Amino acid sequence: MHEDLYKTRAAPETEKRQFEDEALETLWEILERSGQASSGGQAPLERLTSELKDEPAILGMQKDGLLTIKDGKVAFTEPGRLRARDITRRHRLAERLFADILALPEYEVDACRFEHAISTEVEEAICTFLGHPPTCPHNRPIPRGKCCKLYTSKVTPLVASLADSHVGEEFKVVFLRTPMIDRLAGIGLVPGAVIKLIQKRPSYVVKVDETTIAVEEEVAKGIFVKKA
Amino acid sequence: MSGKLTGRGVSGAGARDGKMPGASRAKEPLKSIVLIGNPNVGKSVVFGLLTGKYVTVSNYPGTTVEVSHGNMSLGGRRYLVVDTPGVNNLLPMSEDERVTRDILLAGRPDLVVQVGDMKNLKRTLCITIQLAEMGLPAVLDLNMEDEAMDSGITVDKEALAGILGITVVGTVAPERRGVKELIAAILKGATAPEVIVDYGGAEEYVGKIASFLPPSHISGRSIALMVLAGDKSLAGWLKANLDDEAIEAIEALRDECALKLGAPMGLYINEARLKKAAQIAAGVFQKVPRRENRLVSILGKATIHPLWGFPFLLLVLFGLYEFVGVFGAGTLVDFFEHFIFGRYLNPMFTKVFGLVPVPFLRDLFVGRYGVITMALTYSIAIVLPITTTFFIAFSILEDSGYLPRLAIMTNRFFNMMGLSGKAVLPMVLGLGCGTMAVMTTRILEGKRDRLIAIFLLALAIPCSAQLGVILGMLSALSMKALAIWLLCVISILLVSGWLAARILPGERSEFFMEIPPLRKPALRNVALKTMNRAVWYLKEAVPLFILGTLVLFVLDKLDMLRLMERAASPVVVGVLGLPPKTADAFIIGFLRRDYGAAGLFEMSRQGLLTHLQSLVSIVTITLFIPCLASFFIIVKEKGFKVALAMLAIITPAAVVVGGIMNWVLRYFNVSV
Repeated sequence: MHEDLYKTRAAPETEKRQFEDEALETLWEILERSGQASSGGQAPLERLTSELKDEPAILGMQKDGLLTIKDGKVAFTEPGRLRARDITRRHRLAERLFADILALPEYEVDACRFEHAISTEVEEAICTFLGHPPTCPHNRPIPRGKCCKLYTSKVTPLVASLADSHVGEEFKVVFLRTPMIDRLAGIGLVPGAVIKLIQKRPSYVVKVDETTIAVEEEVAKGIFVKKA
Repeated sequence: MSGKLTGRGVSGAGARDGKMPGASRAKEPLKSIVLIGNPNVGKSVVFGLLTGKYVTVSNYPGTTVEVSHGNMSLGGRRYLVVDTPGVNNLLPMSEDERVTRDILLAGRPDLVVQVGDMKNLKRTLCITIQLAEMGLPAVLDLNMEDEAMDSGITVDKEALAGILGITVVGTVAPERRGVKELIAAILKGATAPEVIVDYGGAEEYVGKIASFLPPSHISGRSIALMVLAGDKSLAGWLKANLDDEAIEAIEALRDECALKLGAPMGLYINEARLKKAAQIAAGVFQKVPRRENRLVSILGKATIHPLWGFPFLLLVLFGLYEFVGVFGAGTLVDFFEHFIFGRYLNPMFTKVFGLVPVPFLRDLFVGRYGVITMALTYSIAIVLPITTTFFIAFSILEDSGYLPRLAIMTNRFFNMMGLSGKAVLPMVLGLGCGTMAVMTTRILEGKRDRLIAIFLLALAIPCSAQLGVILGMLSALSMKALAIWLLCVISILLVSGWLAARILPGERSEFFMEIPPLRKPALRNVALKTMNRAVWYLKEAVPLFILGTLVLFVLDKLDMLRLMERAASPVVVGVLGLPPKTADAFIIGFLRRDYGAAGLFEMSRQGLLTHLQSLVSIVTITLFIPCLASFFIIVKEKGFKVALAMLAIITPAAVVVGGIMNWVLRYFNVSV
């Protein structure tokens, strides 16, 4: 693993690798928007070239076995898809980390640079630390990693669902993932709001400003918070 | 939600406007004032103050599920005032919320009085922002100023009025404080609030969508935002007002916007509004933390405590039993029935009618099935004292804010029946009156939840009159009988809910409920509410009691009653093991369950039923078909087919359960 890292430190290699990452990530996003990221669909080549402005390099990626290009349409090869998934995951995790925890205003730019630099171990540690967030700050899904499936953590997550938080404490809402999202927003429970967990049993009772609400565990599991 | 249904809903609101009382009589068109606000902020109290008309006021969100209309005369002008169900967002998520949005969309309010909770300024402002977007002239009433002050909250109303560009008044509605200022503000007239939210990347699409929309009473911008937020209930309105091409173009724009911003648009728009609201509130809202009232904070904890909550619930139930079952159904009924009717009224009327030479007429009034000796004795001497005591206890519970807390305690229990804890509200209200409760199911999200709740209400929830009579009968038996009855009804609820949840497609909605603060019930409102309900009971029940008696009287005179009793006897005597005369009670039970129950009550008091028979008959009548009024309301809410299907399930089920009970009790020789 470490040997790999050293190898890719060579300057032209790194540059090439970074370009490939960008291209893969862009294609992932294009496919995601048309709802075919997971199924391995295809997109018009010109959409990719118009965004990256380096057609020869993209065509080169076909040779490297990352993409297939046919009749002006571009698709992932299986290794390409896996790498795209990985890089997208890292990018979005980095966004979460920078936006929610470090509260950096320019988190998007930083995330773009950060995504190329981290190893799988770092990525998993961040994911666990953030409580395996399901979406990035733009509400796009973060592809699941190994750590999300295992859900075992040595690191205490800084962001945890309300169901894993302590009664009586105040929290800041980081993100929401529940069909109740509009209802919760209706009473002011949105990302950024400060809430207090009153009790967990027999139902969850939460105070937002001067409003008290009761929800069941399923909903509480979708409210992700960090300590206020 | 189908577009067709929605379309009817919207135009329905408009049609109702056309029929508004007095609209045709007044020379100049009535100005209409619509009350809007978050749930449980006191809109109905303000409505009562403006119109002098009482509508039910309670301390839980969702008391008002129907629109109420009332008139107000001010300075020589007449206004039509409309009270609406509370909303957190003018983006409807349940049926009661849709009603409110539709009034703003299709009704043409001349003025909106937004009632808000001063403590919850941010949430209040979220609605003000939406009114501003709609371009509706509004006055903002920050209610519950006293509670705000108690929790150390002050709002600079003048500064807020300056920011919003509308009049802002503070009130304590139940004490009429600030109402003069509110009325003055209404008389003065109003303009739309001036708040503009910047929706960033969505702005472009808002403009484009708005350009497709037909001219409307409210601004295109606000409707465009509703469309963007994914309001499906608008589909009907769009279809009625636009051609297919325009709708397609709008939908394409909506999808494009969601794709571009990459966020759920409902949340995106909501967040932008909340941010603006918070920004406004920050400048005018101040909170100095104060210590909570000791008793309120202890009670607040005890009522929802995972451990102490349940004994507390039992305590409440025991209190209810003592007050309604023992005091109401025992002491009061004794007094009315034996003393007032037994010793004075009935002998007096018997004497008076004894002078009437026609035996037929004599029997009609004071005979075995006489209007006075049976209908009035049952309704006034037996049922009225019971329902009145029940309504008193119930009003206190309602106003204290305890009922929604029950939802926290019972969510798991309701989950088993395919419902969320929120359903506890209609269920408990069903103990007051089934018809009211069926309407309250509108607060539930999801059609499936509503259907199950209505079915369970019709099957196993006895209404106040019936419950009182039943408690009265049970208190004459034993605690064991009470326990058996309770256990039986609860298991029926569970089993049938469980079955219904499995048979009906779809999933239950997730539990989410606002919990109001605990409040000391105001004596005035409790008295007013009890009075209103008692009067309503007399108006609704007594005529039916008289009708039922007349039916029995005619059947008796034609000698049909004996035949019917005999025809029913395989069921009544064979299956249920009851004396043939109990058939009478079940026959009139078709009209009103409580009347049937009162008949059983009377028989048991006269010693015509053994303890075991009393218990079996009580269980059967509890489950027996819903009364006529609630049957009609089920027809209204769910259609004739559904209502009839429920009837077809419930009636045999009642007999079967009663039969099983009879058999089990006898087989195991249980003494009750």
